[in-house]
Amino acid sequence: MSDIQQYLLDYDRNKNEASATAQKSATRLSEGNLKLLTLIEELGEYLNSEDGATRSKTMAFLAEVLALVPPKVLSLQQRNLLCEFLLSRTEDNEGLGSCAKGLIALEERGKWDAGTVQNIIETLLANTTPLKAHSKQSDRYSVLRLVDILVAKYRDALHDLHESSSDFLSRFIAYFDGEKDPRNLMMVFSILKVPMTEWSIGADAQDLFEAVFNYFPITFRPPPNDPYGITAQDLKDRLRECIASSSEFAPYAFPALLEKLDTQHANTKHDVLQTIISAATEYGPRTMSLYSITLWDALKYEVLSSPPPPEDSLAEEALEGLAAIARTLSRGTEGPLNAYLKPIIKECNEHLEDAPTKQSQAAASILHKIATVSPEVINALLAGVLPRLFTLYQAAETMAKRRGLLEVFVQLIKADIEVYGDWRSVGTAGEQSGSNALIQLREQALGTLLSGLETAPVSGVSFRLVCLDGLVQLSKTRGLLTDEDIGKIIQLLHNIVINEQSFGKDETKEAAINGLVEVAHQKPQVVIDKAFPAFMAQLPDTDADGAQGHLTVLEAFAKFANEEKVFNTVMLRLKNKFSSAVSQNASSAYIVALLSAMLYAFSRGVNKLEQNSQSMYYEDIALPLLKRTSSTDASHPKAFDDATTLDLVGRICNMAVKSQVAEHQQEIADQLFVLFRDTPQSELPPFNLNASSELNKTMVVSTHLLASLRKETRLPCEIELLISSLANYTQQTSLSPPVRSASLRQLSLVINKFYTASELKTCLDPLINAPFELFNPEKLDPLRIRLVFACLKGILLRSSPVLAKLYPPLLEFLSHPKYGTIVAHGFSTLLQPDDLLTKENYCQISGLHKQKSFALLVPNITESFRQASPETKSNYLIALSGVLKWMPFDIIMEEVDKLVLLLLQSLDLKGEDLVKEATVATLTSTLTERSNVLEEHVGSLITRLLANSVAGGEMSAPPRVRAAALKCLALVPDQLKLEVVLPYRRQVCKKLTPALDDRKREVRTAAVKCRARWLEVDEVEDDD
Amino acid sequence: MDLDKQNANPTILNPSDLPSRRRESIGKRRNDSGTGLFDGLIPRYNYLNDPFEQSALSSDSEDEEFENIDEQEIYDLISSISDPEHPLSLGSLAVVNLPDIHIQPPTSPFSSISTVLVEITPTITHCSLATVIGLGVRVRLEQALPPRFRIDVRIKKGTHSTDEAVNKQLGDKERVAAALENGTLMGVIRKMLSTCE
Repeated sequence: MSDIQQYLLDYDRNKNEASATAQKSATRLSEGNLKLLTLIEELGEYLNSEDGATRSKTMAFLAEVLALVPPKVLSLQQRNLLCEFLLSRTEDNEGLGSCAKGLIALEERGKWDAGTVQNIIETLLANTTPLKAHSKQSDRYSVLRLVDILVAKYRDALHDLHESSSDFLSRFIAYFDGEKDPRNLMMVFSILKVPMTEWSIGADAQDLFEAVFNYFPITFRPPPNDPYGITAQDLKDRLRECIASSSEFAPYAFPALLEKLDTQHANTKHDVLQTIISAATEYGPRTMSLYSITLWDALKYEVLSSPPPPEDSLAEEALEGLAAIARTLSRGTEGPLNAYLKPIIKECNEHLEDAPTKQSQAAASILHKIATVSPEVINALLAGVLPRLFTLYQAAETMAKRRGLLEVFVQLIKADIEVYGDWRSVGTAGEQSGSNALIQLREQALGTLLSGLETAPVSGVSFRLVCLDGLVQLSKTRGLLTDEDIGKIIQLLHNIVINEQSFGKDETKEAAINGLVEVAHQKPQVVIDKAFPAFMAQLPDTDADGAQGHLTVLEAFAKFANEEKVFNTVMLRLKNKFSSAVSQNASSAYIVALLSAMLYAFSRGVNKLEQNSQSMYYEDIALPLLKRTSSTDASHPKAFDDATTLDLVGRICNMAVKSQVAEHQQEIADQLFVLFRDTPQSELPPFNLNASSELNKTMVVSTHLLASLRKETRLPCEIELLISSLANYTQQTSLSPPVRSASLRQLSLVINKFYTASELKTCLDPLINAPFELFNPEKLDPLRIRLVFACLKGILLRSSPVLAKLYPPLLEFLSHPKYGTIVAHGFSTLLQPDDLLTKENYCQISGLHKQKSFALLVPNITESFRQASPETKSNYLIALSGVLKWMPFDIIMEEVDKLVLLLLQSLDLKGEDLVKEATVATLTSTLTERSNVLEEHVGSLITRLLANSVAGGEMSAPPRVRAAALKCLALVPDQLKLEVVLPYRRQVCKKLTPALDDRKREVRTAAVKCRARWLEVDEVEDDD
Repeated sequence: MDLDKQNANPTILNPSDLPSRRRESIGKRRNDSGTGLFDGLIPRYNYLNDPFEQSALSSDSEDEEFENIDEQEIYDLISSISDPEHPLSLGSLAVVNLPDIHIQPPTSPFSSISTVLVEITPTITHCSLATVIGLGVRVRLEQALPPRFRIDVRIKKGTHSTDEAVNKQLGDKERVAAALENGTLMGVIRKMLSTCE
């Protein structure tokens, strides 16, 4: 049997075997065992078959063989013959795709000359026009690929054809007419783009344009599992490129696009606007000058009649279109640009007359957007709009109108900065701030804004905010104001911050200080010279005379630390102020305020500091503070006897020490407990159990220092000694709560940071064994419970395997008759976020520690709950809620179905408000993420939430729980199916009525929202 | 569509100028005159607080304190309703204004019924949507206020060409109930209320 016979036999049965046969022929050809002529002759019989399918398969065989023949097997002559042969076969409708594939295979095996190319395209056009008559999409695809190769590789040949034959292009365009398949269309668009961009299209422009525009707008939606993965966006992008590719389309494109813009379909509008943007960008200044005003008239409507941007993306695109036109015209001569800007200026000026309206806001957006395009445009707009704006401003009768006008002005200044830059960086126009048209108007601008801000009453918040914004923008504009003028602005702003009466939400004051920080970024020295002395003058060295109100000034001043250029000065001034306050016996409140300001400033600026200035802060700030803490003479302020103040001191020192290298830290590590005193360490806490309460308090500072140390530093004593000393120290009943908490946290820190993984497994043994017997239920008391949780906290963050041994005895304690409830409350401390045990403090925190604790604790708790005696059951519910409180919901999610019943029961607990709050939070997450597990409990969920949402009810829940329960209840109709929820609607709406009259506003607000949501429940049904 | 709007270019108030509850009335005003900037320095879960000793969320005295329903609260309930014509709130269009909201205490010591009077100001005097806006405000307040309040919504005198007729309509319980049976009208009102916070 010949190969072709075998191929035809296999073709419908097994495509792979058929291909194998083709491969065989190809191999025989390349080895010379088969002559090309023989191969063709063998095909002859089938190519003349009456049956179209046979003819088509035969051509497929030939195409496959040709594609499989190795390069250089076929001679030029053979290829030319084959080419002629294949072309002759295009007269036959059957097998057109295979002809094209065969030709592609030939092309891959040797370049064609111009004549061949022209012959191929002419034959295709003659024999197969229109292509759409060939019903098989894949056949058309192969032909299109062939044509695509021709236009891609043989542009000159086709171009010559176009030049020499006047009707070629029109035939070429008509050839693709009516294609509907998206994959083929992608190809058609890319083929047609070549004549569009490279040929002189003259009389054919309209046909060529319509050949692609007929598809506008693309409404194609890809079928599911589309193997070709072509999206509507791909088609839209390519179509848009075609339309924008030649300015000769402009006479057809713009009228057609604008006609389509007049539609209600947002998607079509988007397509039109994006196409206009592309076209306006590509068509060039000469063409655009002909259409710019028509386009303005159409596009402005989209901006003026729509909601203000940024809410409306259509308006945003229309603005982009207007800017694109201006950008293109800016590349050309002055005349057309001015002709375009003139009606814009006129229209915007008209809208200014009745500001503030929707349209004056729209005018501001238009001006801002267009103005950013180029220096020419902004200068023209400034000159065209500002004089009228200032005249209107002077004549305006209301503050609202003045505000509306200034809003437009501020938008123009912002555009001006984009073009000309600010003091620290040049704008899009490069370095040419000298030609800024705003310079001519700066006196008037500055004067108007300054007097506006200064003379308006404090209640004119929005007006003053606009003035303030405008002044800040003016002071930023590159090369615009002198330092002296900027100084005036700064002075006005700091006056507002320092001297003005508080009003409303103090938006003006806040904007003023933020504005000062912004100016400090541009002009640090001017701010330091002008504003800092004013702030300092408001801060007394001592408030012993009863001076008040310094805190606002201090807060504002500390904000300057956000700006790195002035950070060092801020710290220096605060430090000096602190020293004088201490030496002049200022009140503790003032000292705490100064320390807070230092901590705030430090925490804002510290990351921007370089290494060498960081050690300066250690020497200048941390060391003196530590010495003051431990001293007993006059340098020790009274405020330092308070644990909260010492906490602030500790935090400041922590920041200064943390970033030091290990060898510098060692100095601090050695002084961890001694704190530069002359007393030996063994006489100080935690080693001395009989220390005075003054000495005990410094443990608060030691805790922060310990937190700041790197793991590599050496502790000031053996670690075992430190652990046992701290353990015993924390058990003293005389200790004040803050000192005990601080000492317990030291234990957590030491265990977490300074043990190796293997030491960690046995680190608690000395405490578990006699004589301490940490887990002995008979020795249990509240202080020991705290100790257990502190130790575990250090370990669990490292996910140590020893937890499997340590958790069970702790869980046993939940059934302890006397202290079970206290233990239960401890569970919420285990995973609670902690500000000292952090990675920044070099703690070892395993990424999976929450999962680990969840797996070791939660199943055990739910199991023990079932077996627990009725009086201890609540302990398990409390413990569970404590663990879940800090657990990311992803971890809970898999197990939540087993927990739902326990969670619902914990809503019945009385007096456990924190537990309930945590439970409601867990239930809220469950509703959002895994609502199906709550479906069968919906009745019990709703009843319990309602019971907890009413004040003074049987649950007597506090306001926060009531509000949380209501918020959770409001989610129920959103998350559960309508038929599940519907039966409860009436009951819920009725029982929510008392909550509408709750004592607390927060609860009422939640109740209103919740009830509104439930009232909608059956209305949804009406819609369906 | 836009051409049908009766007032296509309304005046818009800036959010900063809308009445809002001032800080001092929410809780105790800070006695040190600060803004609380430094409060965030010490995290809420500060290690110095003993977690074993804070099982109650708030003291009882705090819960006892009454925060009465006042005009501002009524304003907050209705100012976020959307205008049926514009995607803007009734507050920012100055259709509802704080000074035009009045809560009248019970008329006799034996009655517990207070009255809420809301006067709305249409954006233009011939606005045919005034009735719809009035209805929307009414529906919102009926849903959100406890039953001890009687609700009275009117068009502010002199701000509408047919204010008396509209007021008659808004005051007539039967006509209000009938209007709310109308599906199309309820659809419009539901859309207006969908922006309520």
